[in-house]
Amino acid sequence: MTTQRGRGVFGRVVWYLREVMGESAYDHYVEHARRAHPGMPVMSRREFERQRMDEQDRNPRTRCC
Amino acid sequence: MGVIFAGAVQDMVTLFFSMRRDGKSLGQMAREEIGPFGGAAALIAVLSIMIILLAVLALVVVNALAASPWGTFSIAMTIPIALFMGFYLRVFRPGRVIETTVIGVALLLLAIGVGSLIENSSLAGAFTLAPTTLVVWLVVYGFAASVLPVWMLLAPRDYLSTFMKVGAIGLLALGILLTRPVMLNEAVTKFAGNGQGPVFAGALFPFVFIIIACGALSGFHSLIASGTSPKMIEKESQVRLIGYGGMLTESFVAVMAMIAACVIEPGLYYAMNAPAGVLGTTVQSASAAVAKIGFTVTPDQLSAAAAAVQEKTLVARTGGAPTLAVGMSEIFSGAFGGQALKAFWYHFAIMFEALFILTTVDAGTRVGRFMLQDTLGNLWKPIGRPSWRPGVYATSAVIVAAWGYFLYTGVTNPLGGINQLFPLFGIANQLLAAVALTVATTILIKSGRVRWAWVTAAPLLWDVVVTLTASWQKVFSADTKVGFFSQRAKFHDALDAGKVLPPAKSLDDMQQIVTNSTVDGILAAFFAILIVAVLLDAMRVWAVTLGGRREPVLAETPYERSELWAPAGLIPTAEERSHLAELRERGGVLTGAGGQEVRRE
Repeated sequence: MTTQRGRGVFGRVVWYLREVMGESAYDHYVEHARRAHPGMPVMSRREFERQRMDEQDRNPRTRCC
Repeated sequence: MGVIFAGAVQDMVTLFFSMRRDGKSLGQMAREEIGPFGGAAALIAVLSIMIILLAVLALVVVNALAASPWGTFSIAMTIPIALFMGFYLRVFRPGRVIETTVIGVALLLLAIGVGSLIENSSLAGAFTLAPTTLVVWLVVYGFAASVLPVWMLLAPRDYLSTFMKVGAIGLLALGILLTRPVMLNEAVTKFAGNGQGPVFAGALFPFVFIIIACGALSGFHSLIASGTSPKMIEKESQVRLIGYGGMLTESFVAVMAMIAACVIEPGLYYAMNAPAGVLGTTVQSASAAVAKIGFTVTPDQLSAAAAAVQEKTLVARTGGAPTLAVGMSEIFSGAFGGQALKAFWYHFAIMFEALFILTTVDAGTRVGRFMLQDTLGNLWKPIGRPSWRPGVYATSAVIVAAWGYFLYTGVTNPLGGINQLFPLFGIANQLLAAVALTVATTILIKSGRVRWAWVTAAPLLWDVVVTLTASWQKVFSADTKVGFFSQRAKFHDALDAGKVLPPAKSLDDMQQIVTNSTVDGILAAFFAILIVAVLLDAMRVWAVTLGGRREPVLAETPYERSELWAPAGLIPTAEERSHLAELRERGGVLTGAGGQEVRRE
């Protein structure tokens, strides 16, 4: 479900939102894991999202007005 | 102008140089490229500026919510909504961000709607809070947000505020185009020349540059452009769009905010933004005070304006948020829904502002806490460990206490907290920008690109001239409305003589003004000295490099050929498209969709 090419305007909007909000991060991870570390176990979505959040716990990001 | 030559340049070059250094922070870059002294000064500057920033932002929220049950209720509701979203994302639907945010935004709009009922119910009293009570709540909230795990509160709030921000700004742009409002304020008011502006004292030069702040050049951006953004960017070719383009967008927002402020009747504008000490507390006293500075607004008009947005009063609602909200409700109700929805739009605007400010406050407290832990960790190991809870609590408490102090003095200051603190914040922010531009100029000179150093040196020079002039006036000006120390002297002398000068009402007020002005004056001087020190240290490095006395050593990470191919702009050019098609033909498109293909070769 990572490529949504050829879905017209709606598909592009969905793709854009998913990228911006970080919803597609897991899909990117799965793809990366399969390609770069074949044969290794892939984390479940739950595990992955937990790790991603806890990572933010350790490295807070600044922002401005 | 400021954006094109200074703000956007700063954001872009900082982003680029930080990327070339594995995404190092501005403080680390200053240490490596200028020296340990410059680095330490930059770090102290960053931390103290952040504290002033948080205090000013929190002050804006306090002024927007004080004595407003509708606003207070709907903002308070964002906390349970965020907690719910946090648990939903963590437990039920991990990673389904969009779905969760849509639910959250729906609940948020519901909360704004319910707020109107609260206002007219018996619960109104419970949500009508005094400014000082709100300060306590904000400090408690900031502390909690800093010590709780991010998934619970911070991350979901972030999603909500992003959605609201993009939505509100998009609506505002659309609304302005639809209604094409008439700007009611004069292009150049008489306050520009005489420096006696009731909202911000001081002449147009240098203070216009201080007040515009983020809209043109914001030192705070350099903190994000170093450290945060580099980790999210795919390729160096995208730096121009993200760095420069991002700042252009910010400027666009700033221009719209100005439009929203200018569509308000000038008389109402001054009645909302001059300090409470000048305006008094009733519509009659405010109307008289506004007449004294040469504008007219009748007491009835003031009451009507407040009633239209269902607020008790609009007198002396400083901080900008209520002003912007009134302007936005004016534009929105003109474009969508008419007068009937005006109060809803006002509170929608307040919600959008308070939400993203609070997100900045809680994230800022957290970042400040990490910076403090990091610094203190050099002295005593355990406190630097993020997992050591007592250290986390202690450093969080120090940070909230620091901004809480300025917030409290700001709220209770008879001279008007925003009117006193905002120039200080503006100066601090611009001086931080000077640090960023200094670091960038140093890197350009050290890398042998002296020919191009003017690109950052010219805005640096202008920024330094303007900001140091402002600092100078804030410290030394004999005008008691501008200079902190002459202000202090005036009130101190009167206090010694046992007199009470307006706007103070008691000797306690007098004492408070003296203390506040002293602290603010010392801070203004301290920031300026810090920045001059960084600049001199950098100039020493420039001189050494240009004199050829020492081979410059750059702390750049070695070049690595990127294997990632992606378009540089939002819309790929024809050339980029054909390159993409070629790549795809050779097979193995790995990720990407829509207009932006990404592929590894």
